[in-house]
Amino acid sequence: MKRKIFGVLLSAAMLGAMLTGCGNSENAETRGTASTEADGSAAAGEKSGGYRVAYIARAQSDSFAAWLANEMQAAAEQYDDISLDVFDGQADDEKENAAIENAITNGYDAIIVQPNNGEAQRPYVEKIVEAGIVAITTNARIDGIEGASSVDADPYKQAAVNAKLALEQIPENANVVVLNGPSGNFHADKRREAWQAEFFDKRSDVTIVGEQIANWNKDEAVQYMEDWVTSNDRIDAIISMNDNMAAGALEVVTGKEEFKDILAYGVDGTAEACLLIQDGTMTATCLQSAIDLAKLNLETVHKLLTGEETQIDTDIEEVLITKDNSENYVQMYKNSGLLDN
Amino acid sequence: MKTKSKNQLMEKYSIFIVLLFMIILCTFLNRNFLSTGNISNIMKQLAVPTILAYGEMLLIISGMLDLSSGSVLALSGVLSVSCYKASGSLMLALLAAIAIALICNLINALMVTNFKAPPFIATLAMQMVARGIALFYTQGQNILQLDNYVIFGQGTLGPVPISIIFMAAITVIIWYLLRHTRFGRSLYAIGGNEEAAVASGINVAKNKYVVFILNGILVGICGVLFMSRVNAGLPNGAIGYEMEGLTAAIVGGTSFSGGVGTTMGTLAGAFIIGCLNNIMNLIGVDSYIQQIVKGAIIALAVIWDIRSKSKKSTRVILAEDKGKACTSYTTKKEKES
Repeated sequence: MKRKIFGVLLSAAMLGAMLTGCGNSENAETRGTASTEADGSAAAGEKSGGYRVAYIARAQSDSFAAWLANEMQAAAEQYDDISLDVFDGQADDEKENAAIENAITNGYDAIIVQPNNGEAQRPYVEKIVEAGIVAITTNARIDGIEGASSVDADPYKQAAVNAKLALEQIPENANVVVLNGPSGNFHADKRREAWQAEFFDKRSDVTIVGEQIANWNKDEAVQYMEDWVTSNDRIDAIISMNDNMAAGALEVVTGKEEFKDILAYGVDGTAEACLLIQDGTMTATCLQSAIDLAKLNLETVHKLLTGEETQIDTDIEEVLITKDNSENYVQMYKNSGLLDN
Repeated sequence: MKTKSKNQLMEKYSIFIVLLFMIILCTFLNRNFLSTGNISNIMKQLAVPTILAYGEMLLIISGMLDLSSGSVLALSGVLSVSCYKASGSLMLALLAAIAIALICNLINALMVTNFKAPPFIATLAMQMVARGIALFYTQGQNILQLDNYVIFGQGTLGPVPISIIFMAAITVIIWYLLRHTRFGRSLYAIGGNEEAAVASGINVAKNKYVVFILNGILVGICGVLFMSRVNAGLPNGAIGYEMEGLTAAIVGGTSFSGGVGTTMGTLAGAFIIGCLNNIMNLIGVDSYIQQIVKGAIIALAVIWDIRSKSKKSTRVILAEDKGKACTSYTTKKEKES
């Protein structure tokens, strides 16, 4: 039995060694500064006095949500009178709602909610307001809650800036493929709506030769694109509702002579998309900067807590990234450690 | 007697007949289906699910299963990517992925054999732990700029994609292990009737460890193939891939009751699912309909499995070395259910 226990300990030690040994050079790249709690039991903020703010993240497993959570923590560091605790909704309405209830019970001064599903969290955000606690919904906002504030990026505008550029760039009688986010997701639906109104309704000559839900995932997009490339002799553009899926589709056609002029549009402005745009592989994306979103959230919560304002609805600006300005954003990611220098 | 053997033949090769029928149908539905490019696509897309399915098949045959393979794949993949970025060595990256997946599976084996935890629960726990470590390690962020690492999933050796070579080599190895070794026969015996296997002198615990070790090696290789295919270290990648592996194995005739399953059947099962996904994309079937069709196919496969179990009896033969003494167990499947 002792040998078996020793075996377990050895395995654990090996795993630990792999984690620390292999990852040394990655630490700066992948590790953010946020300390997060998955079970809704975050420790109280370290700053004494001041305001206690709870941030309920949609899902720490979602790369954008994780980035936003890290940036929220970093932005909170800039305020001497704010301590921020991050809770993980684990992409589950029930867990996210429970985290909101716990935060109300724990008497936080403000609660910022990044909804998993706006309508499912609506009654719980209303409870925050009823408890007299400052409530903010962010990425995406929940509309129409009296007394609650919101900070967001407008998903319609984010896609629309791409669609307007595509109006000029996509050739006549083009064949395009469309990659959608999860059905029912506010940002996925609004971005697709923008492409319809701002591009497809105005360009009846364009044919959609393939359209699927790839759930924001790069690996699913790779598979769809492989099949579309087989069934279509010509694809002129990839229209994707986020950068991850656009990058996945591009992975399939990169290096293929017949697709060297393919256009590709995404949203989010991820580090990978900025690199692809800089290389000339991808055409454009709209930056949904977690850094800006986090800063604006903290600025808003500070104004509300100090009584400077009582209700705020605000959006970050939608910045179109093309080859012309991609270098600035690649540098931004290099500075933040998300890309190698 | 003649009818009986005809039935047995049908039963034995029915999955291949289904696959053949599907290929013919798909060829009629889309002219590109049988093109070299598309066949290569299907095989590249199937490499990871098929290799995972072999691991699941070995476990199911011996009366277990692995719900952690998708998460362990992600963990081993992101750590392998990190290793590559730190060391620049492809071999070290591959070994790191295998080592990590192996450790996770050794812990699974320890839970199942020594602590008698049901495989469902033990591997479910590992699923959560492995995914958690992958997310914690990367802080939920994708690892980018993989350079030559993509060679595993995107490179070719001559005209043949490397991922397909991995799949083919593993298919041969698993087929040989299962069909031509004492270890393979022991797995059928353990899954068919564990107590009888113990009574006949089979070291059940040791064999279970070996199955998990093999599964670990397969999952580790999948971690590398997956991450290099998408050219990123995705900590939230491969969610639900264990179900793809399980589905391929079950559709291919592996019985959840244990003791039944073949390598070629699993390969055929994976190809049926792969062809189904591929043709639905080629002809532009709506996402929602795709889910319904896939669900229906899985349901049909399970019904097929249950019906065939109730009709036939399974004969598990435990052969001693060099075919000297043979002990046979005939298990009426009605009795099992």
